Amino acid sequence: MLQRELEAIVGERNVLWRASELLVYENDALPGYRRRPRLAVFPGTRDEVIAVVAALWRAGMPFVPRGAGTGLSGGAVADDIVVLGLQRLKQVLALNAGARTATVEPGVVNATLTKAATPFGLHYAPDPSSQTACTIGGNVAENAGGPHCLKYGVTLNHVLAATVLLPNGEIIALEAPRADRAGYDLMGAFVGSEGCFGVALDVTVRLTPNPEQVVTLLSVFSSLDDAARAVSAVIAEGVLPSAFEMMDNPTIRAVEASIYAAGYPLDAAAVLLTELDGAAAGIAEDVQIVERLSRACGATDVRTATDAADRARLWQGRKKAFGALGRIAPDLVVQDAVVPRTRLAPILAKIAEIGQRLNVRLCNVFHAGDGNLHPCIPYDASDADESARVHAAMKEVMELCIAEGGSITGEHGVGSDKMAYMDRLFATESLDAMCRLRDAFDAERRANPGKVIPSRHCREWMSVRGVEA
Amino acid sequence: MTARAPLPGSELCVHCGFCLQACPTYLALDDENDSPRGRIVLMKALAAGTIADTDPFVGLHLDQCLGCRACETACPAGVPYGQMLEATRERQASVRPTPLVARLVLRVFERPVVLGIVMFGARVLRATRLPWLLAKLPGRIGASMAMLASTRRPGGGRARVALPSSTVPAAGTLTKVATLDGCVMEGLFASTNRATERVLAINGFAVTAAPGQQCCGALHVHAGDADAARALARVNIAAFEQSGAALIAVNSAGCGAMLKEYGHLLKDDAAWRERATLFSKRVKDVTELLADVGPRAVTPSADAPRVTYDAPCHLLHAQRIADAPLRVLRATGATLIPLPDAEQCCGSAGLYSLVEPSLSLRVLSPKLAHIANTGAQVVATGNPGCLMHIGAGLVRSGAHAVARHPVELLDDAYAAERTS
Amino acid sequence: MTTTSITNVRDLADTVRAAFEDGTPLRITTCGTWPESLRSVRSGATTLDCSAITGIVEYIPGDLTLTARAGTTLAELEEATARHGQWCPLSPWGTDAGSFGATMATATRGPLTTALGAPRDLALGIECVDGTGAVIRGGGRVVKNVAGFDLTRLMVGSWGTLAILTEISVRLRARPAVDETWSVPLDGDGVTERLHVLRQGVYAPLACEMFHGAAARAVGLSADAALVRLGGNAGFVAAARSALRTASTNAAPHDPAVWTRAREVHAAPVLQTLAGAIDRPLDRRVKAQFDPRHILNPGLFAESA
Ligand SMILES: Cc1cc2nc3c(=O)[nH]c(=O)nc-3n(C[C@H](O)[C@H](O)[C@H](O)COP(=O)(O)OP(=O)(O)OC[C@H]3O[C@@H](n4cnc5c(N)ncnc54)[C@H](O)[C@@H]3O)c2cc1C
Ligand code: SF4
Ligand code: SF4
Repeated sequence: MLQRELEAIVGERNVLWRASELLVYENDALPGYRRRPRLAVFPGTRDEVIAVVAALWRAGMPFVPRGAGTGLSGGAVADDIVVLGLQRLKQVLALNAGARTATVEPGVVNATLTKAATPFGLHYAPDPSSQTACTIGGNVAENAGGPHCLKYGVTLNHVLAATVLLPNGEIIALEAPRADRAGYDLMGAFVGSEGCFGVALDVTVRLTPNPEQVVTLLSVFSSLDDAARAVSAVIAEGVLPSAFEMMDNPTIRAVEASIYAAGYPLDAAAVLLTELDGAAAGIAEDVQIVERLSRACGATDVRTATDAADRARLWQGRKKAFGALGRIAPDLVVQDAVVPRTRLAPILAKIAEIGQRLNVRLCNVFHAGDGNLHPCIPYDASDADESARVHAAMKEVMELCIAEGGSITGEHGVGSDKMAYMDRLFATESLDAMCRLRDAFDAERRANPGKVIPSRHCREWMSVRGVEA
Repeated sequence: MTARAPLPGSELCVHCGFCLQACPTYLALDDENDSPRGRIVLMKALAAGTIADTDPFVGLHLDQCLGCRACETACPAGVPYGQMLEATRERQASVRPTPLVARLVLRVFERPVVLGIVMFGARVLRATRLPWLLAKLPGRIGASMAMLASTRRPGGGRARVALPSSTVPAAGTLTKVATLDGCVMEGLFASTNRATERVLAINGFAVTAAPGQQCCGALHVHAGDADAARALARVNIAAFEQSGAALIAVNSAGCGAMLKEYGHLLKDDAAWRERATLFSKRVKDVTELLADVGPRAVTPSADAPRVTYDAPCHLLHAQRIADAPLRVLRATGATLIPLPDAEQCCGSAGLYSLVEPSLSLRVLSPKLAHIANTGAQVVATGNPGCLMHIGAGLVRSGAHAVARHPVELLDDAYAAERTS
Repeated sequence: MTTTSITNVRDLADTVRAAFEDGTPLRITTCGTWPESLRSVRSGATTLDCSAITGIVEYIPGDLTLTARAGTTLAELEEATARHGQWCPLSPWGTDAGSFGATMATATRGPLTTALGAPRDLALGIECVDGTGAVIRGGGRVVKNVAGFDLTRLMVGSWGTLAILTEISVRLRARPAVDETWSVPLDGDGVTERLHVLRQGVYAPLACEMFHGAAARAVGLSADAALVRLGGNAGFVAAARSALRTASTNAAPHDPAVWTRAREVHAAPVLQTLAGAIDRPLDRRVKAQFDPRHILNPGLFAESA
């Protein structure tokens, strides 16, 4: 029996099978998707992962890799299959300060890696707002971004190599292309594969030197439109802030009511958090440009963080904003669309219009510099009428972003949640090509099946297996 | 089923996971059932009736919670975890028996006379070398002996001593403060209580006693026996009202957190609700009082000890007091060395170290390692449970550092200043 | 050896589908400025000239993104973006007569790569025709996108052995306000090491390339030297300049036109690495999924079939 076999590998305490103990593993951080796994297994070493995956392969049992379960797309949820939790693999295997690289196990928490690098004046640059909780394995699987990815790039740009275990037991060393080595960029293909290609057993990442100087600006606006225009103006001017984040009034209020109150003005229609960093020389010029353009677009106040503590406070507010929205209503939906940065102002206006028309509480907190919107709606799922309106609103928002030439996800991944939009974005031939890429890694669909691409678009899979759409 | 779970506060949780890395038991056990997010899911399901109150595994995960409330200070949504846990433990108490050790201890703490005898016995034992000899024994005996050993102070000092008159400002205009004795504090750390009184007086408070006070009831609430706690709360509120003090000074973070929650504890008791709320507002941690007036500082001497500070959960997470103890420590003139992960629980957690000894020690071990790395001679922390748990860990590991209350250190510094 | 010239994606798809059905091997070329890159492709393959699939499809300067067809030359991109004070900092080894498509397909790096990103870092989305004649799109035109599995990274750098790129979207950069080139004689006493430290530090240059012996002469340098390019706003470059002068007191301003020649001189060494580069089972499974009949640039990687 599979359960016994797994227990023999990882010990009884690390296999969960009781319904009560599986409850918390029924969803990731998007509580809307609940699926009951059959088992959850937590290997504690790389060898145990390999043995577990081999046992699952023999048993014909598909599995879903899971890191910290902070995903926002219903990615790490398992419908009557096995959850393979990697949270126990949390060793930093190597940290080479000279070469500025670190090799970590997949369960290492993003912020823990930066903490390990701090004594060397280094940090791990991709900083999803969930960084104090999410794992590097999950970051690689989702190609996670974060506020500072505007300047420093997303996970893809920082992963140098990984050892990947395919569901069939094959272990492959993937490496980002280098000047001296050609070959398919399967490292690039693996990043963002949402647990559907295999399990990352270890990941080697680039560490980034801490900047010599950091300037954080809080700009206050009396209209969302002004703030959006300021973002477009700064980007078009060619200044590259390290981070450029926007929060609207409902979000500001939620943050200010929380333990992470940052001192954002409660009456502002929107605030922009802009950070410029790098060499000390030259920053002042960029700060002036940002300030000038912000004021020209109608900023009523632009203030600079006074010291490191003040900066940390301003950032904590932003990074915990999504959680803080939890206090508005029992349930929360969050989307992750990307739009061209010149279109921010008109799109935000249309989103507001959608919110008003459908009478839902649309809040915005997002990576403005990338045009990566995170419209959130707090609501009460037990109110059927409100739920229907919320879902209608989200659908309209997504369609709007697609129509504007954008994408349905900038960093959270497709998972279960955004599958329905995939064929609005891609033709069947393209979706089929994505399926083929997956087939090269996992032809049997044993890793995280049923996610990302609706199976009706996979020609091969359909014809051979006769799977229902 | 979409019916709302009747567990107030649980609806705030958005499942974001920010609390995971703050939770000592998740870090030690790596199962979300032993994390705040997981326990909230379990508590919600218990309240909604989707899992049985008698499920032993659910019970285990809830029992393994330290109640340190580090999850609360990590939670952006403001989930009142501590209150939810207490509510759940209260329900659970009726279906799942409290462990025998815990029950025994609770009954003792409810009875001042019995408690007095037990504490007396403990002090007699402490006066022998026995606790030191037995401290290295494995299991509960060794742990308890090490704890006892760690509470010993040179010079003892149980009697309430008269203050040196020159240091006491003129009475009359002063804020009148009553001190909480605290069962363990008065039983095993009497010298710290006396130090507290002296330090408060030197800093301009009129210190008064509040006779008739009893155990604060914190251990009872944590064990799910809220009724016993309510009875104790009523006794204490009355006693402190009698004392006529404007403020109540507490030097035990666990007790302080409890006293500050009397308002919540008695919220359904019409006769006491308001008195309790008023009372809770007057409760202050002793470091909070001192920080408010800016404690009189001692000029640092060349041989000032190297001190590191570990934040008691019930001060930092429950009472949200972070800075005040550091200000007190700075006033002692000591060299302060930051302690990595000072905000993480040491594993003491009231009766926890007795009920879950092995997990409790797993939580403690990184703490001891961090302390050793600082090279500090003294670990300051303002809670008897932490003083004993860390103190015991230091004794058992043969470390040279000792655990002390910040106010004790300030008192020592004042004394040294007087003699020099 | 026959050559077929293609002008649009539909025709390309039809041609490849026909070749797929017949098993006709295809040699894919665009501007043909780098013929030796295809020297290991099986002889007798039909040459597919894609240089006529050309033109900028969309360029919105305010978004700093651009979409162009594969046959567009780098010179054309350079000209279009320069007008708005922007650039597509591919600047690969070779010449600007080369095509956008080939640069991305071969993921050719250049002197700016370390500072501004390799082709895989700049690419946002692609359109391509695979070895079965299917027209495939991956990614998009916005600067952040994780919708679906990453066909963009897969195709960039696959040397036309999985699919023929027809259109690529990239992120652009604002041109630095100040952009100046220096030459630093490599005259011993640790200057190479000091330049290395400079590259790792906060005043890292946009480019830093060393030229020795014949290469130095070919570039027109009188002796072994490093070419260093400093870029940024005035304040930054002023500080970077003094950092460079500290690294070498002999650093001297140089004509920036030197980079054109430098890129040509450096172009050759890339090719040795191709043989056997895709020989693992996983590589072969990927190949089989996209070019099951091995008709796209067959033999290029000298892969065992
Ligand atoms: C409050 C909040 C803020 C957030 N902010 C951001 C943000 O700013 N930017 C951003 O990009 N995301 C953000 N997220 C989303 C989420 O944190 C990221 O997607 C993160 O990368 C998920 O990591 P995880 O460890 O929690 O992964 P999980 O949720 O556990 O899993 C996510 C996916 O990764 C797969 N996976 C996990 N580990 C492995 C492995 N070792 N090998 C293969 N596959 C694996 C899973 O199967 C699943 O498909 C936020 C989430 C929250 C709750
Ligand atoms: S941090 Fe708060 S909202 Fe987030 S999972 Fe934990 S308890 Fe729930
Ligand atoms: S109270 Fe402490 S041990 Fe319990 S869930 Fe919260 S953080 Fe974890």
